[in-house]
Amino acid sequence: MTPTGPLLVIALGSALGAAAFLRFPRAWLALVLVGTAAGLGACAFVLWGGPAWDWPGGFEVAGQPVHLRLDGLSALFLALVCVVGGAGAVYSMGYWTDAAHPRSASRGRLWWSEILLAMGFILVATNGLHFLIAWEGFVLGSFFLITLDQSRREARQAGWLYLAASHVGTLCLFGLFGVLAARLGTWELGPVRGHPELAPLFWLALIGFGIKAGAFPLHIWLPSAHGSAPSHASALLSGVVIKMGIYGLIRFGGWLPVPAAAGWVITALGLVSAVLGVAFALGQHDLKRLLAYHSVENIGIILIGFGFALVAASRGHAAWGLLAMAGALLHVWNHGLFKALLFLGAGSVLHATGCRRMSGLGGLWRRMPWTAALFALGAAAISGLPPLNGFVSEWLVYLGLFDAVHARGASSLLAVVSAILLGVTGALALACFTKASAVVFLGAARSEAARRAHESGWAMLGPMVALAALCAAIGLFPVLAWPAVARAAADWTGAGPAAAAPAELRTLGLCSLVVAILGAAAAALLWRRTAAGSLRRASTWCCGYAEPTARMQYTAGSFAGIITGWFEGVLLTHRTQVPAGQGPGRAPIVDEGVPSSLDDHTPEAVLERVVGPAARVVMRVALGARSLQHGRLPAYLLYVLAGLAGLAAIIFLACILT
Amino acid sequence: MMASVEFIVRIGLWFLLPPLLPGIVNRVKAWVAGRRGPPVLQLYYDLARLWRKGVVLSDLASPGFIAGPAVAWVAVAGAALLLPLGPLGSLLSFRGDVILLVYLLALARFCTAWAAMETGSSFEGMGAAREVSYAVLAEASVITAVLALSVQSGSVSLARMMEPAVGSGGVLLAAGLFTVLLAENCRVPFDDPATHLELTMIHEVMVLDHSGPPLAVILHGASMKLLLYALLLVQAVVPLGGLSFPAAVAVLAGGVLAVTVGVGLVESLLARFAFRRVPLLLTTAFLLCLFALLVAWNGGAA
Repeated sequence: MTPTGPLLVIALGSALGAAAFLRFPRAWLALVLVGTAAGLGACAFVLWGGPAWDWPGGFEVAGQPVHLRLDGLSALFLALVCVVGGAGAVYSMGYWTDAAHPRSASRGRLWWSEILLAMGFILVATNGLHFLIAWEGFVLGSFFLITLDQSRREARQAGWLYLAASHVGTLCLFGLFGVLAARLGTWELGPVRGHPELAPLFWLALIGFGIKAGAFPLHIWLPSAHGSAPSHASALLSGVVIKMGIYGLIRFGGWLPVPAAAGWVITALGLVSAVLGVAFALGQHDLKRLLAYHSVENIGIILIGFGFALVAASRGHAAWGLLAMAGALLHVWNHGLFKALLFLGAGSVLHATGCRRMSGLGGLWRRMPWTAALFALGAAAISGLPPLNGFVSEWLVYLGLFDAVHARGASSLLAVVSAILLGVTGALALACFTKASAVVFLGAARSEAARRAHESGWAMLGPMVALAALCAAIGLFPVLAWPAVARAAADWTGAGPAAAAPAELRTLGLCSLVVAILGAAAAALLWRRTAAGSLRRASTWCCGYAEPTARMQYTAGSFAGIITGWFEGVLLTHRTQVPAGQGPGRAPIVDEGVPSSLDDHTPEAVLERVVGPAARVVMRVALGARSLQHGRLPAYLLYVLAGLAGLAAIIFLACILT
Repeated sequence: MMASVEFIVRIGLWFLLPPLLPGIVNRVKAWVAGRRGPPVLQLYYDLARLWRKGVVLSDLASPGFIAGPAVAWVAVAGAALLLPLGPLGSLLSFRGDVILLVYLLALARFCTAWAAMETGSSFEGMGAAREVSYAVLAEASVITAVLALSVQSGSVSLARMMEPAVGSGGVLLAAGLFTVLLAENCRVPFDDPATHLELTMIHEVMVLDHSGPPLAVILHGASMKLLLYALLLVQAVVPLGGLSFPAAVAVLAGGVLAVTVGVGLVESLLARFAFRRVPLLLTTAFLLCLFALLVAWNGGAA
């Protein structure tokens, strides 16, 4: 008797129970925490050595027998759902209170519990129909979380776009599961490697799950949804919701027979997502939109690792595939943790200042030291810097790539390109997060709101501290996380027991630990040395200028200017300048009454340049077709007659031909 | 016992030797210009003086202003300790240590840029923006160079990667890595460490508001990084494996000296480039490393 089953029953029970206590925030929170803790316990048991949990229910739902299964791969994702779900629930107590949001707070709690449940069911479902039902519930749940604040037009629009994009994805999934069920005669899901004719279905899965994961260029819904949702919902969306797309891809990449090109296409998608995701992030001046584009980047890194795992699988399960896959799976956790941390940090800033525009902030560290320190840690982690967790997963992916290079053959050329672009992505992310954290937290306040900011309460800081601690723990003790990742990777291929931790991972953890301890010691030592001598405070040196103002500081736009210039052709940044017409050879017309300003805006290029025009064409055709419907009965009768005649002609032709 | 002695010797070497390099560079520059120039040991005097001095701190600076240089120094020192020292080998060698080295240098960059942004000065903002932007191109070159070495040796650990003799690709690799060395250490033609015109600098402008012990730490870290890159370049190109211990040490020291003199000569003979040409030069460095990689690739297949 394993504890997995009872723990999952407790998790389900408390999640359902929580829905009954929507009006009582503390009781709701307690139940959600019990549920997520129980779910986490079940996952930990499976991941660190326990057997997979399998429950043939014995009764039917929607005409299909219930069959649930929690193996290593599901448990890896479910653990993330539990951690971020629990942290976000605590955070919402301070961030989205009943006092401040009397109309939407309890609704938020309802959809929060609903989406956690739906994601749990997606992860344990082994029946296609049940998977689809849970998937739809999960899409709706995230829609209602995005539009929690219905009074804001931008949130409503983001929700609408999300719903439309998600349903395009769901349509692909209906196609996928429908064809599977028709071919196999059952909705039961499982490995079907023996049916090579099903391989093209993988492309359907790629589009369906790729839209959810937010891989470039399928990410059109992501920036506005993550930017406009309440911050705890953004943390869940970015940390967990898009990972469901990754789960689907990995799961069906393991079960379905994959086409030969699958690994290449996924790696290419990953490379494009990684580089362009961070390039678009650099162009953003809205803190939450910037973080949203970084989700695209990190999904890219995960896809690079997964793509190479597929390439390795097609080459007889080469050993480097395991490293790449382990890196990708660990990055699923890591990105979930540090991105949730960063979104919660951005939420604290928003809560304290009401401002998302980075150039209206600045100098917040003085008022919000905890938020600043935690955000800085998240920034270092997402930039892939040692000794934090982002580095460990990128390091594993790198090792896989280097081994793939040594293996020679066509895939090693892909590995060379991937390794170089992964390095570029890391350097770009570093630039982007130096910009974001420095402009928001350092220097002088650029607005009155930033000057009057206040630190968040412990309900908001507590979850951030917990997430930061997990980021540091995985970075400093990567060996402890390895068994979970190896177990999930082993369950993905179904090939035997989990691999032992590579010896170098232990050494890497040791190095990280030493760097962390020595770094802290050196900082303390230097601070003491500085304080021991004569320490004088003075204003920042401004080239002798007498009256420096906060507006003279470097802004987000100016900091990123060099790099966004390189990506000009893709980002399509447009500038607005007042007074107009400045530039070499064109003196500005200065109007004393109008303060001069320079602003730039980077729109969502795929949405505005590709999807938008395509949608307009569809709309025009549809409007043209509408003139067929005008309410005149004789004309309708004529349509019916014409239709009948057409049918008769087809039948007649068919008779002649056969 | 031997291990701990060796460890202390290494730490001592990395602590004491680096400030010599900027002194040599300045000597070469003075010699070319026909001046007498500052003593070779000038940086040692400067560091000792700065360490004893008081600090002027910007009103806006957070504790990160002091912690940044300290962590950056530790990161560079950590990267330096990972580097094998010719016949001494490396202190700690494992698969993938080269990636840790590259990312420790990135950590140092993050901390330096962070500390620069602390003061809210637009000059330092400029410097930090340039530093992190040009590093993108430098990073691509470094990863490509690492790939070239890795393909050639069939290994992902620094000690093994440095062993085999490079063929004709060595010249390309040396040229590429030397350019990256100039860019990453903020030397002419990317940056001018001697100038005092803030608008045109990268590294120097990032540390404008630092003074006293933190500035000493920054300067020492910068010289350590220069020595690290010089050692990396020499060992990547010159095979030291077959030589006896004294010969190998002599070749290594001679190589580092040659690189340092080369930096000085470049600095004397070239003017700083306009900023819009910097990406072009870095792209050239990347291409040189890429061709070195292709040569290594072909050599392995033949």
